[in-house]
Order: sequence, then C-alpha cells, then structure tokens
Amino acid sequence: MSGKYKTPLLDELEKGPWPSFVTEIKKAAKKSPMADDELGQLEKSYRTKRGYWKHGGIVGVLGYGGGVIGRYSSLPEEFPGIAHFHTVRINQTSGFFYTAEALKMICDIWDKYGSGLTNMHGSTGDLVLLGTTTENLEAIFAEYSSRGWDLGGSGSAMRTPSCCVGPGRCEWSNIDTLDITYTLTQEFQDELHRPAFPYKFKIKTAGCAVDCVAAIARADLSIIGTWKGNIQIDQAEVKKYADAGMNIQAEIVEMCPTNCMSYNGTLKINDAECSRCMHCIAKMTKALRSGKEKGATLLVGSKAPIVVGSLLSWVIVPFIKVDAPYTELKDMIRKMIGWWDDTAKPRERIGEVIEAEGMRSFLEAIGVPAQPQQVKEPRKDPFFFWEESDFQK
Amino acid sequence: METAELQEKIFAYMEKMKGKKKLKEKDVIKALAEETTEAPDAVKKALRGMIDVGRLMYSYGGGASSVEIPSEEYLREKGLIK
Amino acid sequence: MALPKRQTDIGPPKYDQFIPPVIKKNYGKWKYHEVLTGGTMVHVAESGDTLHTVRVASPRILSTETIRDICDMAERYCEGYLRFTTRNNVEFLVSDKSKMEPLLKELKEKKYSVGGIGPRISNIVHTQGWVHCHSACTDASGMVKAIMDDVYDYFTTKELPNKVRLAVACCVNMCGAVHCSDIAVVAVHRKVPTINHELVTKVCEIPTTVASCPTSAIRPNPKEKTVTINEEKCMYCGNCFTVCPPIDIHKPDEDGVAIVVGGKIGSLRTSPKFSKLAIPFFYNEPPRWPKVVAAVRNILETYAKNAKKHERVGEWIERIGWESFFKLTGIEFTFQHIDDFTFARDTFRTSAAFKY
Ligand code: HEM
Ligand code: HEM
Ligand code: HEM
Ligand code: SF4
Ligand code: SF4
Ligand code: SF4
Ligand code: SF4
Repeated sequence: MSGKYKTPLLDELEKGPWPSFVTEIKKAAKKSPMADDELGQLEKSYRTKRGYWKHGGIVGVLGYGGGVIGRYSSLPEEFPGIAHFHTVRINQTSGFFYTAEALKMICDIWDKYGSGLTNMHGSTGDLVLLGTTTENLEAIFAEYSSRGWDLGGSGSAMRTPSCCVGPGRCEWSNIDTLDITYTLTQEFQDELHRPAFPYKFKIKTAGCAVDCVAAIARADLSIIGTWKGNIQIDQAEVKKYADAGMNIQAEIVEMCPTNCMSYNGTLKINDAECSRCMHCIAKMTKALRSGKEKGATLLVGSKAPIVVGSLLSWVIVPFIKVDAPYTELKDMIRKMIGWWDDTAKPRERIGEVIEAEGMRSFLEAIGVPAQPQQVKEPRKDPFFFWEESDFQK
Repeated sequence: METAELQEKIFAYMEKMKGKKKLKEKDVIKALAEETTEAPDAVKKALRGMIDVGRLMYSYGGGASSVEIPSEEYLREKGLIK
Repeated sequence: MALPKRQTDIGPPKYDQFIPPVIKKNYGKWKYHEVLTGGTMVHVAESGDTLHTVRVASPRILSTETIRDICDMAERYCEGYLRFTTRNNVEFLVSDKSKMEPLLKELKEKKYSVGGIGPRISNIVHTQGWVHCHSACTDASGMVKAIMDDVYDYFTTKELPNKVRLAVACCVNMCGAVHCSDIAVVAVHRKVPTINHELVTKVCEIPTTVASCPTSAIRPNPKEKTVTINEEKCMYCGNCFTVCPPIDIHKPDEDGVAIVVGGKIGSLRTSPKFSKLAIPFFYNEPPRWPKVVAAVRNILETYAKNAKKHERVGEWIERIGWESFFKLTGIEFTFQHIDDFTFARDTFRTSAAFKY
C-alpha cells in the first residue's frame, strides 16, 4: 500500500527550508492508501502538466445541500484509492481558535474515515478535510455533529462566515468580530446548509480597516469595524516613539492621507478631517487609540473576477451600531439578502445585481438613504433618472 | 391542506418537470404555492420534510444548486432502499 | 458498530471554549502589541497581563500526524491553546512567558519555520491546484513551496518597507482572493477547449453545458446532439469543462501562469486596490517553476530597494508611475498589458504628463 509510487519530481519539493506539502502527503500515505494514490496521481500531474480531477456526481449528507464537494479522479483504474476523493467542509471556529483536545478529536475521526489530509483552512474559512468516499459521508457527519461540529456551506448557499482575531488578541478591534461571526453563523444555519439562494453568499468581519480577513475583497457582505469621535492620543507615548528614533514627521504625519496631522513635539490631529484609515494607529499602537463611539461600516459586493471582472465591496451603510444581540445588523442582512434573492438571475452575486439594477434600487429596498460616504465622487454625466417620489419632495 | 397531500403534489410536480428544467428550491415553492394557494412557507416546510427523509434531494451542477428526485444509487447509499 | 446520533444545524462550537484564560480575562481590553522577532510578538492588556504569540509556517495541506505534533507542543507550552491565521499560519498562544524559550527550541529542532510577523512576507494564500481541483492549470502548492524557499529570509528575519502579501491561484476562478495581493501568481488557460463530440453526446446535458458559459460562447448543435464553441467569444474560463468533462480545457503545453502586482486589502493610507498585470505569461515548469520564482524575487527586490518605509507595493508603484515600474524591473510591456475588458477605458492615459 504505502510508498507504492516513485516520485522523483515531487521529491524535489521536499528540499529547501519551507515546510513541504509533499512531506505531508507522504506522512498521510504511511497510513492511508488514498493519500498514497493522491501522491501517485500528483506525480503524474507534475510529469504531464495537467490535473486529473473530475467534478460532478452529487454527494452530500441527507437533508443538507452543501458541505461536501464531490471530487473524483479521472483515472480511477490507475489510482483506485482516489476514485472518490471528496472534500468535507467543517465549520471553523470564530477566529480559528482551537484546543489541542478538539483538534485531536477531529484528527482521530478523520483518520478513521478519510485520507488523513486536511487544509487548515480552506479559502472560505472552513476547516477542510481532503479526501473521502461517498459511503463514509453519513458516518463522518454523525461522528462530527454528535460531538458538536457541523458542516460548512457549498453550492448556492451561505458560506461559513469568518472573521479576524478581533478582541481576542488585537487592540485595534472596534467590534466583537468573534461574537458577531458566531452569532451570524448560528442565525443563518438554514441558509448555510440548504442551498436556496441564486448563488453563494459570503460574510466576513474585520475589526478595523486593516482588514486581516480580506473582507473587503472576498465577501459579499464585508463588515468592517470603525469609530466616531476623536483619536485618543497619549503624548507621553508619542514622545517615547520619537525618542526611540521614529521619524514622526516622515513616517506618520506625511503619510497621513488626509493631511490632518501635525507634529512639533506634540502630535495634533484634526479629527474632523481624519478618514479613519488606521495608518497612524497601526504604526504608533502604544500612543494612539481609536475614538470611543464604536460601530461598523457595511460594504457589499466583492467577488473574484469571474466573469465580468473583480469587484471590491462598496460602502452601503457608513456606520451601524453592532452590539449584542445584533438585532439591527441581522435585520439589515436579511433585507439585503432578501432583495438579492428576489432580484438575481441564477449565479449572479449580489454585487453584480446591484450593478445591473442600479444602486438606488438596492438602497431603497433596504431602506438606506443616499449619502456621500457611499461614493468616491458623484456622477459625471447629466443623464439621470427621476422617479415619481422625487417630485413629491 | 394536509402536509402529506401537499407533499404528494410536490412530488407529482417534480416528476412532471424531471429532465425538463433544473429547479431551484424557490421555483418549486413558487409553482406549488400558486397551484395549491398554500402559503410559500408551508410549501417550503413540506418540501424540506421530503428532503430530510430523502424523498427529494439537493443537487448541484454548473455552479448552481437545484432540487431533484434522488437516483436509486443515492437511496441505496443512504440505506433508504436495499 | 453503531454510529452516534447525528445532529443538524448546530453550527460550530462557540469560540469561547477555545480561548485561553488570559484572553478570556482581557477580551477586548488589549492595550498594545510589540513585534519581538520575525515570528514572535507580545500583546499587553490594560490589566498588564501579557500573551506571547509564536507564528509558524504551514503548507496549508497538513496531515493529521503533523496536526497532532502541533497539538502536542501546544499542550506542552500553551495549555493546549492555539489558533490559525487567515493566511494559514499556526499560532501558539503562550500565556506563560517562561515557556517561550523551550517552545522555540523544540520548533527549531523539529525544523518548523517561525516568522511572518511585521514588515515581512507572510504565508502565501493559495488554492488547491493539481492536488485537488478539476479546474487547475497549475499546481498552487508546488509553486508556493518553490517561491517561499527562495524568499525564505523575508519570512523569518529580513525586513521590507512594509508587509508584502503573496498569493497563488490555480485558475481564473481565483478562489483565494488573489486579485488584491501585493504580488500574485494566477494560472491561465490560453486556448479554446477541445470538444470530444462523441462523448459530449453520451455524457453531457446540452442545455446545462450551454448555460454554463459565462460569455455565451457555446451554442447547441441539435442535429449532432453536441455543442460548438465560438472562438471569438471564449475567454478560456473552463466552466464548460466543469459541467461537461469531454470539453477539455487542459492544454498542458499552452497552460501557464501570469503575475499580477500592486493590490492591497487594508484601507491604510490609500484605498484597497486590485492587483494589475505585470507579466502576462510563463510556461508551467514543474516541479519548481524557476522563471516564476525569479520574477517574483525581481519584483520583490526592486520594491525593497526603491519604496519608502511603510509603502506597500501598490503605493510605491502609484507614486513612481507604472511606466517607471516597468523600467525599474526591466519587465517588458506588451499588448496583453493594455486592458480590453470591462473597464478598459478607465485605464487609458488621459494626461499629457508622464515619464520615460
Ligand atoms: C464557476 C466558477 C467556479 C467553479 C466551477 C468553482 C469550483 C470550485 C471547486 C470545485 C472548489 C473546490 C476545490 C476543492 O477543494 O477540491 C472550489 C473551491 C473554492 N472556491 Fe470556487 N469555483 C468557482 C468560482 C469561484 C469564485 C468566483 C470564487 C471566489 C469569489 C470561489 C471561491 C472558492 C473558494 C474560496 C474555494 C475554497 C478553495 C480553497 O480552500 O482552496 N470560487 N471552487
Ligand atoms: C444629450 C445630451 C447633450 C446634448 C443635447 C448636448 C448639446 C450640446 C450643444 C448643443 C452644445 C453647443 C455646441 C456649440 O455651441 O457649438 C454642446 C457643447 C458642449 N457639450 Fe454638450 N450636449 C450633451 C451632453 C453633453 C455631455 C454629457 C457633456 C460632457 C460630459 C457635454 C459637454 C459639452 C461640452 C464640453 C461642450 C462645449 C462647450 C463649449 O465649447 O463651451 N455635453 N453640447
Ligand atoms: C488575500 C489577502 C490577505 C489575507 C488573506 C490576509 C490575512 C492576514 C492574516 C491571516 C493576518 C493575521 C491576522 C490574525 O492574527 O488573524 C493578517 C494580518 C495583517 N494583515 Fe493581512 N491579509 C491579506 C492582505 C492584506 C493586505 C493587502 C494588507 C494591507 C493593507 C494587510 C495588512 C495586514 C495587517 C496590517 C495585519 C495585522 C498586523 C500584524 O499581524 O502585524 N493584509 N492578514
Ligand atoms: S482587522 Fe483590525 S482588528 Fe482585526 S485583527 Fe486585523 S488589525 Fe486587528
Ligand atoms: S487614521 Fe489615517 S487619516 Fe486619520 S489621522 Fe491617522 S493617518 Fe490620518
Ligand atoms: S482557483 Fe480554480 S483551480 Fe484553484 S481551487 Fe479554485 S476553482 Fe480550483
Ligand atoms: S472555456 Fe469558458 S468561455 Fe470558453 S466556452 Fe467554456 S465556458 Fe465558455
């Protein structure tokens, strides 16, 4: 079983200081014939420069429409161990926090039913178990769910929301990213497991504009923590940065995008002009803290380039309070999703629908007024529409 | 309408549409809500009941999910038929 | 053996079961953090409590054996607490500072790579590749390994003007948010797929196949029970192959990768940006893609030499201008660089002022 294949090309990738995925596959192959065949097929791909995977075949657990991605080798006779090699997506925890005990439990079950290979984590956020057969799916689900772990989303459904480490370990977080993500994951269980949407929908939450989960680039709804009020300055700490050799004029004041800072021994910020970009706070974390009124900006629409080009999320709600139990946030999300669900053609992401239908249609549907924070600049052309309601004002 | 009766109607509709069009859950709900004048939520609940026991199933293809009548292979795999 | 009873719609376990006591106590009350070395930092709470973090590279594909080894170390030095980052690093959460030294020692002995914190390169966000995806026109894991071996010093110790975020996507679906990275590799097909008509008739649903094409390049051919592809419209996305494997998108001798640069996610200083095309094509050269690796290094080092402190790659390029970027890096400018897609006209120059 194990070590069936000679892998001269892949062996090249065991050299060098960076941890090697080939070594990982080989470790799994010691125990799993599936992983060994994965290794064999991959070596073949390296030789012929092409993949040998097939999509399709409907797999899943009873009652759910997602969480398992069917994957089959297109060379099942040559590599019988990976004739089936399905992906199982398990909900990650908020902020990817684990205990050794929990992870070992996950490993024990996976060794029993799968290839022993994982992705920690998949790009959607889920904990990804790589490679099992159709027959094992119900057992895998029973084992994990009985221990408190559920499947993630796939297909035309919500994806497991994900977030940055937030208040767990970051002084810049304006909102409780972990709790928001946990709460929303629970709130949308049905939408996650039973694909009823036009296409996928992703929610990612970052505690501040640094955006360590790349929410603004890869979530249909990006929730990004922000604040109102003045940046809090500790001048004694500012002085320590200066004493330690920081060139405050060049590195902070001159890099402030709004030119709202000045420094002559004391640091001054004209907060009315500050755009809350986080540069100064990130560089002088001991001296500066964000303002006291906390909330979030809701941005909508980012997606990868398929098909008419990538989108970054657009500001829709400049400032919303997000405190437990997050009623206002949940209502707003339901309104957004509801409009999209009613309006989209199959396989249209929410950003594409907003482009097709017009921003006004979306904003009115969710009850958000037009605000200058939503645009970089107003329109340039004089070709605009008027609606009946505009004449009644 | 009794749930069981509604479910029969859903199943009849699914059989009628089989092979013609990939139906999203929403398409089924809309069609049956019109046909039976039941509330969409009631149709959804009945539909979900059928999916939970494998009488219908979610399917996936070409990037989009749909609902369909399960194959024998699927039922056998789930231990629902021998 | 009887299986335990399944539960549905329970979601993940709540995060608070997995956070160490020091985080529970100081939750949301962190005061500042200090980067200690390329791979270690300390967070200090308002209460004065501290939490040390050791960040360790992972190839993302992990065997259960390695996960257990990481867990064993977490048990020895962190009361079992650990986390992963968005960029797939492992973080040991050390509450007891005296455990740092033995942890780092064991990591070193076992050849784990500690790094990725501060103005450096962190782990490369990447997708499945030949390891597990039908769509892949390159292998993401192998390319990541080859690049990281080469720029290893910038992960562990050496500093850059700011963070540099790298990504690899193995097809234009770009599952990993490659489109906003400082430097990213994206794999591209370049030829219209070949159709095996006999098999299409046998195994494919014609309407589904037609509908799968985002550019409406596929037409049904009802007489022959197959499809035709309009070569003018096809942009080689491979969606048709996904639903109908006899339409083969793979062209091993023509597939390869492009390099895009200058994207960013954070709103710090300047708005988030998309990455833009730097090099339109390299052939696949497994197992180590030497030309791609050299090109990444060239861009990285040109940036390191020329950018101001705190400037990201995209900010540096915007300051000096793209024409200077091509000059400094010595990268050839081609017709592929000029946009002819959705937003093309926004990219044409409309000013008489520019550089040579
Ligand atoms: C029609 C287009 C697409 C197809 C056919 C497709 C197909 C797939 C498949 C088969 C996988 C699973 C890979 C595996 O684990 O075996 C996958 C993963 C994924 N896809 Fe897509 N995808 C498409 C478009 C997209 C787009 C546009 C995005 C992003 C906005 C995206 C985001 C993801 C993510 C985040 C993953 C997880 C990848 C990972 O963890 O490495 N996909 N996709
Ligand atoms: C249907 C829409 C439009 C109509 C009917 C229209 C009509 C006209 C007319 C009749 C003139 C005067 C020509 C002359 O005296 O020789 C003119 C001039 C001009 N229009 Fe338009 N126009 C339209 C839209 C626009 C738009 C959208 C723009 C710019 C965004 C624009 C920019 C100009 C400019 C720059 C001039 C020259 C003004 C000058 O020489 O002082 N027009 N237009
Ligand atoms: C695909 C894109 C990106 C991903 C997946 C990503 C992911 C991450 C991850 C995992 C962390 C560690 C945070 C944690 O502890 O959980 C992080 C930190 C960070 N990232 Fe990113 N990032 C991306 C792009 C960017 C970009 C473009 C910027 C800059 C504008 C950026 C700026 C930062 C900063 C400032 C930190 C935190 C400070 C630190 O760790 O020292 N990231 N990012
Ligand atoms: S996004 Fe902001 S709050 Fe969240 S971890 Fe990053 S820097 Fe901290
Ligand atoms: S947050 Fe940004 S805009 Fe505001 S003062 Fe600091 S650097 Fe300037
Ligand atoms: S980027 Fe493309 S090839 Fe890579 S995992 Fe995503 S769909 Fe597959
Ligand atoms: S590769 Fe993409 S664009 Fe070309 S025919 Fe197939 S689906 Fe259409």
